[in-house]
Amino acid sequence: MRFITYREALHQSMRSALEKNCNSFIFGLGVTDHTGIFGTTLGLEGEFGGDRVFNTPICEEAMTGFALGASLRGLYPIHIHIRNDFLPLAMNQLINCVAKYKYMYGGLFEVPMLVRAVIGRSWGQGGTHSQSLQALFAHIPGLTVVMPSNAKSVISTYDYVVNHYRSPVLSLEHRLLYEYSFTVEPKSEEIINPLTSFLVKEGSDVTVTATSLMVHEAKRAADFVKKHEAIEVEIIDLHCVSHPDVELILRSVKNTGKLIVADTGWAPFGVCAEVSRIVASADPSMLSRPVINLSMAPTTCPTAKALEKYFYPDFGDVVHAIYTLVFETSDHGKELPSEEHKASQYKEFKGPF
Amino acid sequence: MDRKTYEKLFYDALRIRMVEEKIIQLYPSDKIQSPVHLSIGQEHHVVALIYHLKKDDVIFCSYRSHAAYLAKGGDLRKMFAELYGKKTGMAKGRAGSMHLCSPEVGLFGASAIVGTVFPHALGAAYANKLKNNGLVSVVISGDGATEEGVFHECLNLASLKKLPVLFVIENNGLAIHALLEERQSYSLEALTSAYGIPYYLVDDGFNLELVWNRSEQILSSIRQLLTPAIFEIKTCRYYEHVGVGLDYDKGYRTIEEYETWRARDPLIVNKELVDEFQPQIEKEISEAVEFAELSPDPPKEELLTDVF
Repeated sequence: MRFITYREALHQSMRSALEKNCNSFIFGLGVTDHTGIFGTTLGLEGEFGGDRVFNTPICEEAMTGFALGASLRGLYPIHIHIRNDFLPLAMNQLINCVAKYKYMYGGLFEVPMLVRAVIGRSWGQGGTHSQSLQALFAHIPGLTVVMPSNAKSVISTYDYVVNHYRSPVLSLEHRLLYEYSFTVEPKSEEIINPLTSFLVKEGSDVTVTATSLMVHEAKRAADFVKKHEAIEVEIIDLHCVSHPDVELILRSVKNTGKLIVADTGWAPFGVCAEVSRIVASADPSMLSRPVINLSMAPTTCPTAKALEKYFYPDFGDVVHAIYTLVFETSDHGKELPSEEHKASQYKEFKGPF
Repeated sequence: MDRKTYEKLFYDALRIRMVEEKIIQLYPSDKIQSPVHLSIGQEHHVVALIYHLKKDDVIFCSYRSHAAYLAKGGDLRKMFAELYGKKTGMAKGRAGSMHLCSPEVGLFGASAIVGTVFPHALGAAYANKLKNNGLVSVVISGDGATEEGVFHECLNLASLKKLPVLFVIENNGLAIHALLEERQSYSLEALTSAYGIPYYLVDDGFNLELVWNRSEQILSSIRQLLTPAIFEIKTCRYYEHVGVGLDYDKGYRTIEEYETWRARDPLIVNKELVDEFQPQIEKEISEAVEFAELSPDPPKEELLTDVF
């Protein structure tokens, strides 16, 4: 077992993709500059050459269509966006073409590719550098959407999709996770499909299904409520939000009777709505309390710190939601994590980008 | 151009025209329940250009692609079956007229969303270039598609990356019902020259020999230099934008313009060749239509396969 950061896992995955899949190539604005997409593509142009690792003009639609054309002809494109907020510029290609190519042409074509895009948070990212747009993409049949929440997930998922998966994948990476360190076990030789959800921690009192950064906030909350109230929280990392492990979710909710959905995006029509739909469609009677959704506030992200701090869901919100379900009232009167405690996790991220 | 080549081009263009006329004839029966954008009037330049493409050269088209599909060698029976929504259609009845493809002859797709296929041709050209296989990539779109932002993105990218790609712009002067003058502030030649891309023009798309000669010149230059070029061809869309009707009574264009093009349309003027080729083509078309008629519908299980 060893420690590596999310950033290192991404770099390792990019390097491994180029090494193992000779048809793969990496491109995007900033891929070959001195910052190398927050360090995740540094040095790769020098090692693998400018044909396989290159910077692009700022033209998200053309580059996404370019990826499709290259994929149709046997290449494996890895297209990187430093913020997922730039993906709306590529929506025509992603929705009208990439997602539909296999189905619409009767299975004659496959367009495997990986699109990496970063979610921003805090430090005044504001309206168009802080969105978490997984719901827009997971809504479209044909797009596989993943949100790796740790280094192991990055390594196993990218290795699988680049070398063994024939459909287009969109991966949303949380900027704050880049700074986190994770334990990574030696890789097993067995090929396991990681395009599903994972059980992070067992617990019998409350189920928290979470995405991306919120998986960590859920883990912190679980530690907190265990320490203070001896509450056992079960955590499910939804991971592949387009293909969640429905059985895993239902089994857990059946056991705990209480469900929190903690997502990095907005709740309406999003991951919160979807997990709630899954449970309501299967058997709403398994819930002993109403579902609690934790999400971004239903508005555009403000830059002012005074407002921003209310915009994103955090670990304090998860603790409050757990107490609300367990003590059957939002007026539970229990002590919540301090502001310092909540912020401690983010101290390493100091912007601007 | 020798007689034999001319007759081949004529035959191929007439075949496309007769297929389109068959569709017009069948449309009121409601057996083809999907929008059709007829290539009728725009067959000539397509056969003349595609003559010079190898089977494995890659092409991408707009929704008005019956001509390119047939000229590139797409299977006529599978095309009718596709229009009929049958299991035996080239895409098992999922694509319809607007999304014809035939990978075995290099047609890698078409799009109903204007301008969308330009970057696909660039990506394919990049793959061809990396593989050093000598193939070119061709994208055929209308004049309206050049107004899309992605077209400008693609001119830049093609030039920057020196991609072996040919942009073919079929200029019929119309975008649905909007005239060119209402839509464009630029000259295509000046625009493409700003990106350093060689521009070629044929004013009369009905002139098989002219388009054939010019296409040969352009394509051999692309093969040799492995760099992009643009080829604008002026032509005439005989029928309405979508559907099988003539719409010269709607006030946005004149019947005189139509008559002017028709008066020099080889497929009308050269009655002798039409009479010579018609019976054989008719036979092929009837067989294809019969194949479509007799083919089974896709089964219900097909609804949810091939999604991922």
